[in-house]
Amino acid sequence: MAVQTQAIKARKAAGLNWRELLITLLVLLVGAILIVLGAFGTQAGDQSEFTDQMLGTLFALPSQATLYAIGAVCLFIAGLRLFRSVASLRGLLTWLVVFLAAFAFLVWVTSGESMNLPGMIQSTLTAATPLTLGAMAGVLCERVGIINIAIEGMMLSGAFAAVGFASLFDSLWMGLLAGSLVGGLMAALHALLSVKYKVDQIISGTVINILAAGATRFLNLRVLEPAGLSTPGSFETISIPVLADVPIVGPILFQNQPTVYIMLILLVLVNYVVFFTPWGLRMRACGEHPRAADTVGVNVNRMRYISVILGGLIAGIGGAYFSLGVVGTFEDGMTRGQGFVALAAMIFGNWNPFGAFMAALLFGFANAIQVKLQIIQPILPFIDQPIPHQFLQMAPYLLTIIVVAGVVGRARPPAAEGKPYEKQ
Amino acid sequence: MVRLVILAALVAVGVLTSKWLMLILLVALGLWPITLALGFVILAVISIWHGGWSWMKEWLGSRLGGLVIPALSVFTALLIGALVMFFTDQQVYDALSDGGIFEAIKVGVGNLLRAYGALYEGAFGNPGDIIQAIGETIGGEDGLKPLLRAVRGPSDSLVQSVPYIFAGLAVALGFRAGLFNIGAEGQIGIGWLAAVFVGYGITTELPAFVHLPLAILVGAVAAGLWAAIAGILKARTGAHEVITTIMLNYVVYRLSEWLLCGPMEKTVGTCRTPDVAASAFLPRFLEHPVSIHWGFVLALVAAVLTGWFLFKTTWGFELRTVGANPDAARYSGMSVGKAFVLAMFLSGALAGLAGVVQGLGITHNIALGFQAGYGFDSIALALLGKSHPAGVVAASLLFGGLRAGAARMQSVAGIPTEIVQVVQALVIVFIAAPAIIRTVYRMRKPREEEAEVSVFSRGWGA
Repeated sequence: MAVQTQAIKARKAAGLNWRELLITLLVLLVGAILIVLGAFGTQAGDQSEFTDQMLGTLFALPSQATLYAIGAVCLFIAGLRLFRSVASLRGLLTWLVVFLAAFAFLVWVTSGESMNLPGMIQSTLTAATPLTLGAMAGVLCERVGIINIAIEGMMLSGAFAAVGFASLFDSLWMGLLAGSLVGGLMAALHALLSVKYKVDQIISGTVINILAAGATRFLNLRVLEPAGLSTPGSFETISIPVLADVPIVGPILFQNQPTVYIMLILLVLVNYVVFFTPWGLRMRACGEHPRAADTVGVNVNRMRYISVILGGLIAGIGGAYFSLGVVGTFEDGMTRGQGFVALAAMIFGNWNPFGAFMAALLFGFANAIQVKLQIIQPILPFIDQPIPHQFLQMAPYLLTIIVVAGVVGRARPPAAEGKPYEKQ
Repeated sequence: MVRLVILAALVAVGVLTSKWLMLILLVALGLWPITLALGFVILAVISIWHGGWSWMKEWLGSRLGGLVIPALSVFTALLIGALVMFFTDQQVYDALSDGGIFEAIKVGVGNLLRAYGALYEGAFGNPGDIIQAIGETIGGEDGLKPLLRAVRGPSDSLVQSVPYIFAGLAVALGFRAGLFNIGAEGQIGIGWLAAVFVGYGITTELPAFVHLPLAILVGAVAAGLWAAIAGILKARTGAHEVITTIMLNYVVYRLSEWLLCGPMEKTVGTCRTPDVAASAFLPRFLEHPVSIHWGFVLALVAAVLTGWFLFKTTWGFELRTVGANPDAARYSGMSVGKAFVLAMFLSGALAGLAGVVQGLGITHNIALGFQAGYGFDSIALALLGKSHPAGVVAASLLFGGLRAGAARMQSVAGIPTEIVQVVQALVIVFIAAPAIIRTVYRMRKPREEEAEVSVFSRGWGA
């Protein structure tokens, strides 16, 4: 028995080491790549110039030296990670590596050229918008104890409904509202299946995803296109007076589509409601210890319905971003798995809206830089060819896998997640 | 030993007469009411020796009792599908404004009947045509041609069901190990790509009995290894397979786009590979237009092997134990991680075979946009078949028929095939929540021995 327990303990320890080892190896890899890029991917005299539309050149860095320096820092951190004494700092160090590596990558991309830095940050923020909205839907759903892998389906149906109703009422705002409501409707179905019928929540979520994919395609071909309701146009950029003229910050934060503003407002609001109101406390109690919540008089199942549907409403807005915010029409499967990326952002952000936002910015950056790379097409060392754009497009998905693999074991999801609640 | 010899002899006879056996099977499918009646008669004859009607009732009851909920689920889903088609029918609204509500209903129901009629014909063929064709074939000079034309429906259904069987088995096997493999779509792509690559890439002329198995094997192993990534990640880091397999899907989509429009492309701009060498074709049973191929037999063999593996081998037992209760499995000394990796590998290999049979049996190449939704449908199949190989085969035949019928429904009645996807999603809902079906049809509460259903919602960490 003792031997067995020991073996299990050893295995557990081995499992933990694996994750840490994986991250350390990744950090090492990042450092090595940066140094190789510096040595073979840049010219000695090249400078990376970062500009702003209003201020002109912000700063210029010698590309090669910067890459070497950041690569060295990554290698140093990888070594540092091996010591137990810095265990408490590991999370912070990982984030440091992530941001440094992202910056170094930018430096490599712009070596010998110039880049509009606020513009880059702004496209990162825009790309992070649907992810943050989706992740907030996930937070509301999972904090109350319902696993939500249906964000994708909710967003897709929201994107579809937004197009249809925006054309029908000839108003993009009505479309946004309808997208949100339909997202909520899908969430209501998810809640009904998982709360009332106690269907396994992963299966229930998958049903929503399949249903959304099939129904939107079907209705698009059979209703929207024949009725000429498929091209409502897309949202214009709204500049907020005065604030938009502030250098650097203005173009980033105050010259955006409406969905971006909505996302930022909801971010603050959801964070406040979930963590600083009695309602939020009760809601979180339902996800951590529903029996305790029930004992003090919280109606667990009703709470679950409300919270899941609220999440769906937010996911629907995220969906409307894809159709009304970007292309102004509906395309089959246009959310392209971003709902799952949002889920990964939520996990990375530790079931916390602001954490999810930070993670979403990271994914958004991966997205923004791959778009940028498709335009600049820097030549890879050794292969002497630009990276095929398909590989660049893989980046957000690979990043999601790495994040989920690297973080999940340490993340602490709500305790009662996935279990239907039965009153005793 | 004697048994083995007899079995081998039977297989040999089966292979030699496969063409005729397949033709008989197709006709029997096309005339299924007659086949069913014949079966009843045979059963009645057998029952004479066993105690008559009461024995027959019990025999049927014990075999069909479990089918009530699935059958009602499919029926209800088709009914809702009909409602959706009715209410999205432009002609109904036109008729409503022209001639009032009765006119609208008449038009709508007429369209529905035409649509579902086309669905039936696409899946089973036209029974009248088949009977007529049998007469023509026996009496006429055209040989088998008229009959082949008439049994195209059942053949298409079987052809469509082949990838479904593989993909459904893949998901079912994952379910048994407590894994939710929703990456079948990507694994299909990998299997397809690898098999086609072996098919056209080996330019020295190989005999078919080497080339074909090699292509099949490489496809299966490649897809298995691809899926095993998700298994390893889950075993080592606890990353939930639902997210990793979905993400791997998107990686496959991009990867295949690059491969097909780049290194593997035949002529620039087509995004299509060269055709597979004839020595790697999965042979067909009959001539055009009946395209049923040996992949069907492979699929049935795979189902039998999967059942044998799951229920008769130690590894299969370990897999199922891990699926039912990982903690118990761990404490009894099984390696949960090993089970996850093994299950993902096998699941991926099965899913890969779905792509392999499409590539070597039907298309003989792979082109951009090959994803046909088999991967997602397979989830419904595994649920519908209660994660049992026999159930999966039955469900696959049903969905294969639906798919073949939907293609016809689109060409005849102009209904987008995606309606089938909606129907399938509804089927999953009803199977997963039988309480809905019981409420709707006022059925009694089940006894306590509800079939074992795997639970996946152990949160993100477990």
